[in-house]
Amino acid sequence: MTGSILFLLIIVLGGISWFFGRVKASRFSITHTKRGAVHSLPNYHGWYVALWAVGPALLFLVVWNFASPALITDAALASPAAEQLPQDAFAKGSILAEARSIASGQQVRAFNPLSQSMVEPYKTAISYYQTLGAIAAILLAFAGGVYSWLRLKPELRARTKIERITMMALLLASLIATITTVGIFASLIFESARFFSMVSPIDFLFGTEWNPKAVAGPRGETGFGAIPLFWGTVFIGAIIAMIVAIPLGLMSAIYLTQYAAPRFRAWMKPILEVLAGVPTVVYGYFAALTVAPALRDFAVSIGISGASSESALAAGVVMGIMIIPFVSSMADDSIAAVPSAMRDGSLAMGATKSETIKKVLIPAALPGVVGGVLLAVSRAIGETMIVVMAAGLAANMTANPFSSVTTVTTQIVQLLTGDQEFDSPKTLAAFALGLVLFIVTLLLNLIALRVVKKYREAYE
Amino acid sequence: MNSTATFAEERNPTDWQGDVMQKRIRKRYAAERRFKALGLGAIILSAGFLAFLLIVMVGNGLRGFTQTELPVEIDFPAMTGGAAASQFEGANGQANLRTLGVQDIVNASVQIQYGEKGTELFSAGGWQAVSAAILTDPKIVETKTTLYLPVEAEIDVAYKSDGSASAEQKVTELDDKLSTGFNKNFLFNSDATDPMQVGIWGALKGSLITMFITLIIAFPIGVLSALYLEEYAPKNRFTDLIEVSINNLAAVPSIIFGLLGLAVFLNLFGLPRSAALVGGLTLALMTMPVIVISGRNAVKAVPPSIREAALGIGASQMQVVFHHVLPLALPGILTGTIIGMARALGETAPLLMIGMRAFIATPPSGIVEPATVLPVQIFLWSDEVNRGFVEKTSAAIIVLLLFLLTMNALAIYLRNRFETRW
Repeated sequence: MTGSILFLLIIVLGGISWFFGRVKASRFSITHTKRGAVHSLPNYHGWYVALWAVGPALLFLVVWNFASPALITDAALASPAAEQLPQDAFAKGSILAEARSIASGQQVRAFNPLSQSMVEPYKTAISYYQTLGAIAAILLAFAGGVYSWLRLKPELRARTKIERITMMALLLASLIATITTVGIFASLIFESARFFSMVSPIDFLFGTEWNPKAVAGPRGETGFGAIPLFWGTVFIGAIIAMIVAIPLGLMSAIYLTQYAAPRFRAWMKPILEVLAGVPTVVYGYFAALTVAPALRDFAVSIGISGASSESALAAGVVMGIMIIPFVSSMADDSIAAVPSAMRDGSLAMGATKSETIKKVLIPAALPGVVGGVLLAVSRAIGETMIVVMAAGLAANMTANPFSSVTTVTTQIVQLLTGDQEFDSPKTLAAFALGLVLFIVTLLLNLIALRVVKKYREAYE
Repeated sequence: MNSTATFAEERNPTDWQGDVMQKRIRKRYAAERRFKALGLGAIILSAGFLAFLLIVMVGNGLRGFTQTELPVEIDFPAMTGGAAASQFEGANGQANLRTLGVQDIVNASVQIQYGEKGTELFSAGGWQAVSAAILTDPKIVETKTTLYLPVEAEIDVAYKSDGSASAEQKVTELDDKLSTGFNKNFLFNSDATDPMQVGIWGALKGSLITMFITLIIAFPIGVLSALYLEEYAPKNRFTDLIEVSINNLAAVPSIIFGLLGLAVFLNLFGLPRSAALVGGLTLALMTMPVIVISGRNAVKAVPPSIREAALGIGASQMQVVFHHVLPLALPGILTGTIIGMARALGETAPLLMIGMRAFIATPPSGIVEPATVLPVQIFLWSDEVNRGFVEKTSAAIIVLLLFLLTMNALAIYLRNRFETRW
């Protein structure tokens, strides 16, 4: 709480500095009337002073935030209460951690009486260093503001300086995306490496038994064979969902672009797009509550054995419905990109509309359609909530759509939402699965974009 | 040239009116009609799925906004030994109410009217409605009042649709007394174990806080990177790298962002689990690429003549962008932002990864407190065994869909109202 008040205080100081900087600078144009004597507008001088006030102070606070825990621990250890602490570094560390979380209010009661005795020294140390940090930050803000205010001169190139800083901010902002990508990759690789030091990658990628709960101790792990998960993912996302989504999406796109009246198209296109905007958790609930029981009853009535209330078919069909707009809008784009000369030529030869579509438009648009399907597959296999809620947890290798299968994303959720010990292969396996998922979706996207791009170039 | 002419002379003209050709044409036209019908069928089927989904959700969910009630006559003067209305007014009202023992009073009144086992008919937390009634109108403690209290979940389900046999039997016994009323709990309570007492306020507040954090992080970063990439970035390897990573991020499955949040925000930075802050950060990383992509399109759509005119009268490069290009591109950027935010609002999987699936019975009051969000709450309720949760889940879905609908309508309005076509 004190942190946010301090932050606000510094921002207010920045605002005041901006005002004084501006006031001082607005006099320049009165005293220096010669053309070009004043380099920048008063506003830029104001920003110049404000940045000097806020920037160093905030920078200091960030550094202080990282440095102060170590200082606080040192101060607490120097207190007389610390003499009773055990010598063993591990036990000492856990007591200190507990005392710190009690002192900062995250925890109410201590399990170890020794930690209780350390709470007071911690509290005094924390408040001492917090006050110190706050005073230093405010002094820094004052000093920065006053220093830069004194430096304001008519010929000061305030605008250039401000623009340079803005430019840096722009560059930094656009770097965040790259940093995030690197962060995803690094964290997945790092955690997966820890997993593969316990479980052999060969066993993981080619093993056919998935049963992480059965895993007992370190080494000799079995039950991390991910093939059933890969099969389940492909079965639901790439087979069943696509059997639903490709015909419906493609035919919808064809009808809307080639046959429909403009008014019908103007109404139906947004309605179909709503399908992509419905949250996946809603689809998941719909699949589990309505579709799955109906399909199970149907399977039982036609005498299929092994019908489960959590079936691959229910999850796949609902996922296919969700994917329809993706397929349809990609198909729409690629059909629209076929040169109209080809279409007109076919019609002029006496082909009917459907013959033109089937024999000219679709073959010409095929690369784009295939690209769209690949994108849809990558979205389907990364989809989580529908399969978590409707596909089940049993790692079956079966082609029976009425039985329960499990997918990569379901297992990631399952592994990470149970008991959390962060070093067990069970938890780390989720990151290995995540890595596989990330690489596969990345490849699918790259291939899809390459296919679409290459095809577009051919007609332009 | 010559040979083609002779070929044409030798060939008989096609007899278009003949039976064979007519039959063939009819066949081709039939195929044409079939194909067209197939296309229309595909659209109707897709739209039908949507309609079916909405009908199922609304049909189940509307019941979640109501509750089944039984009248309970409470003889306050006799039960409380003559408590005065003034006790429950003002600041001390809550404390005095606690010492009054409302729960015992209600239970006793229920047992008088519905027999020894009467309390089993009512929702365990139903007495809280009496407390609320006293606080809003303290005068009732001086009179004999009849209040309607929510019944127990099984009977509620049985009365509204069809429930278990024993509950149905109780419904037939009590049929003339049962009635339905508006379920205020659902809008103002948080998660609970009893479906009659659950509400969405806690999850809604968590969603709002999370969305706020997502917005204040993703929007500035997204706009600034869109401006950089469109207006300043030199064409080189480095810029390509940025572009590729933005496009890839937009296609990364959302659960991967959850893994990133878990590994980086929770384990590396040590931020608290299940907090709105971490959820907002994770969703911000996910939303940012959407804002960048739509922002770039909006910036690209601003015609060069505007930039040239500004440069021509002496504006600096930065002034051109921030005084002219950005304001003109803003409606487009905002539209993209709202669409990205709507996606983030419906997102569940990454939030499960960072632990936002705990049982949260009090609404969060800060960004580092344990919170849950609306989609996760829906997921948690969907797992509940008690049948009373079915309609609550659907009702929460209705609320979520209403929010999404509003956001998308706002985006469409903004696009139509402010977007200029040059």
